[in-house]
Amino acid sequence: MNVSLKRIQAIIVKDYKEFSRNYAISVMILFPLLFAFMYRSDGAEQATMYAFVINFSLAMLTSFVQACLIAEEKERNTLRSLMMTPASMLDVLIGKSALVFIISAAVLALSTYIFGYDTSNMMVLVAAIGISILLYTAVGTICGLYSKTLIEASLSIFPVLIIFTMGPFALVFEEDYPFVKVLRYLPSSQLSELLNALEIGATTNELIMNLVIISIWAIVLTVISFVLYKKRLMDR
Amino acid sequence: MKIQAVVVNGQKIIPSIEVGLQKQKVIGIQTNVQRKKILLAELAEQPDTYVSLVEQGEYKRLTVEELLRFMKNISGHDKPVGTMLRLFQLEDLRKMKISHLPSSKQIYLSLLRIYYAHQQTIVLEEPYFQLEEQERLVFARLLQELSAEKRIIILTSNLEDALISCDEIFRLDNAGLHQLDFADADSEPPVQEEIEEAEFKVQKIPTKKNDKVILFNPPEIDYIESINSMAVVHVGGETYSCALTLAELEERLQHYGFFRCHRSYIVNLQKVRELITWTKNSYSLRLTTGQDSVVPLSRTKLVELKKLLNI
Repeated sequence: MNVSLKRIQAIIVKDYKEFSRNYAISVMILFPLLFAFMYRSDGAEQATMYAFVINFSLAMLTSFVQACLIAEEKERNTLRSLMMTPASMLDVLIGKSALVFIISAAVLALSTYIFGYDTSNMMVLVAAIGISILLYTAVGTICGLYSKTLIEASLSIFPVLIIFTMGPFALVFEEDYPFVKVLRYLPSSQLSELLNALEIGATTNELIMNLVIISIWAIVLTVISFVLYKKRLMDR
Repeated sequence: MKIQAVVVNGQKIIPSIEVGLQKQKVIGIQTNVQRKKILLAELAEQPDTYVSLVEQGEYKRLTVEELLRFMKNISGHDKPVGTMLRLFQLEDLRKMKISHLPSSKQIYLSLLRIYYAHQQTIVLEEPYFQLEEQERLVFARLLQELSAEKRIIILTSNLEDALISCDEIFRLDNAGLHQLDFADADSEPPVQEEIEEAEFKVQKIPTKKNDKVILFNPPEIDYIESINSMAVVHVGGETYSCALTLAELEERLQHYGFFRCHRSYIVNLQKVRELITWTKNSYSLRLTTGQDSVVPLSRTKLVELKKLLNI
């Protein structure tokens, strides 16, 4: 499987134009910024609120856009045609993921700025969010592969939104229902925990556990999305 | 290129066929929709083959120029976008978004993807079906040019579409591929047609059964016998009565390979399987039709029959 930078670039340019001209999808970049603006505060709960904004943006922007880009390509049968060009399936997947990564990173950076979140340990923050973007891109790929049309893709994001974004909030019931403890290991809960720990000035060593768990999620989901991508394209 | 036989629900839909492909020639295959779909799936499995389907969509939010640039970059095609725009006669529309183009133009644009295919064999499904006159002309010309380098197959259920740009046309049915022969209408002398028309006569044998009049084509008939001076026509094991006399029938049917084998029998020689000799003076003809239908053959007629069959 050969990967060509020129072809990846062509796919990024093409998908960027399609994305920016499809307002139903590109409007999604406004939500993280809007949420950051609404919830911006200096209070004690700052880290929790910030974690919510980030987790929400990751599902609503990263996963959603990725799922839509793949589903739309399938809906119009252009993916089949792409497969017959020299472009490998990896070219297509990397091209799309790269575009989604760039958009997500830019929007999240901007919303962090709007929110006014500041931390002494920038390295850990960037690493945590960077890995999270990869993870949610993989989730988006899986959603996109299981949907045939744009509408299906946008609906398939809701389970992701409910489980991943709302998961950390269910931890409130931890004392009544012990099994809720599992949710602690969701990447979103881990990100929230990490941000809270950063707030009280934890060292990098103390945060390494959170980062590892998020990375494991990212690796597992990426592998699953690759395998599925290959399998589902072969079936057609 | 070889295609294996396809069997659906125990019925042979497509027999195994072999298509002789060569450059400079556009091959058309005309068949029904079911066979077309199966054949397309089979062709997609072939190595080094680009299959263009009817439902090919397009990146509709790109402009024409952006699409061609994308196709160029993704396929590694070497001609600059400007040259291709001129070649495709799309210069006026270069800045137009594809979704704003008329539908005929959109389909034309999707078809142009074959120009960027690196595969040596190109299969097109119904390329002309939804195109308007102008796009048809341009596309037919482009296809002709492309056929110099590539082997092109057009699959269609419409013979007229195949006629637009195919050099050789085949019809596919459950028996296999049959080449259709198209002589130019101009080359045939018109006089001949007139003669043919004048000579053409309806040759049906009218029969009656249960007060219904049934007409048979002569080749359908197995044999005719005379019972009580009434002609009885045997077709596939059934009997039908006929108002004509045997002499009249014999005259009408002798051009169709019928033979008066007995005073009261006329047999369709195409359906005779066996000449049975009972004794020195008694003979019969066994027919190929499933039932044991045996027709007597008189001794005087045997000589005539032998002469007829060169035995």
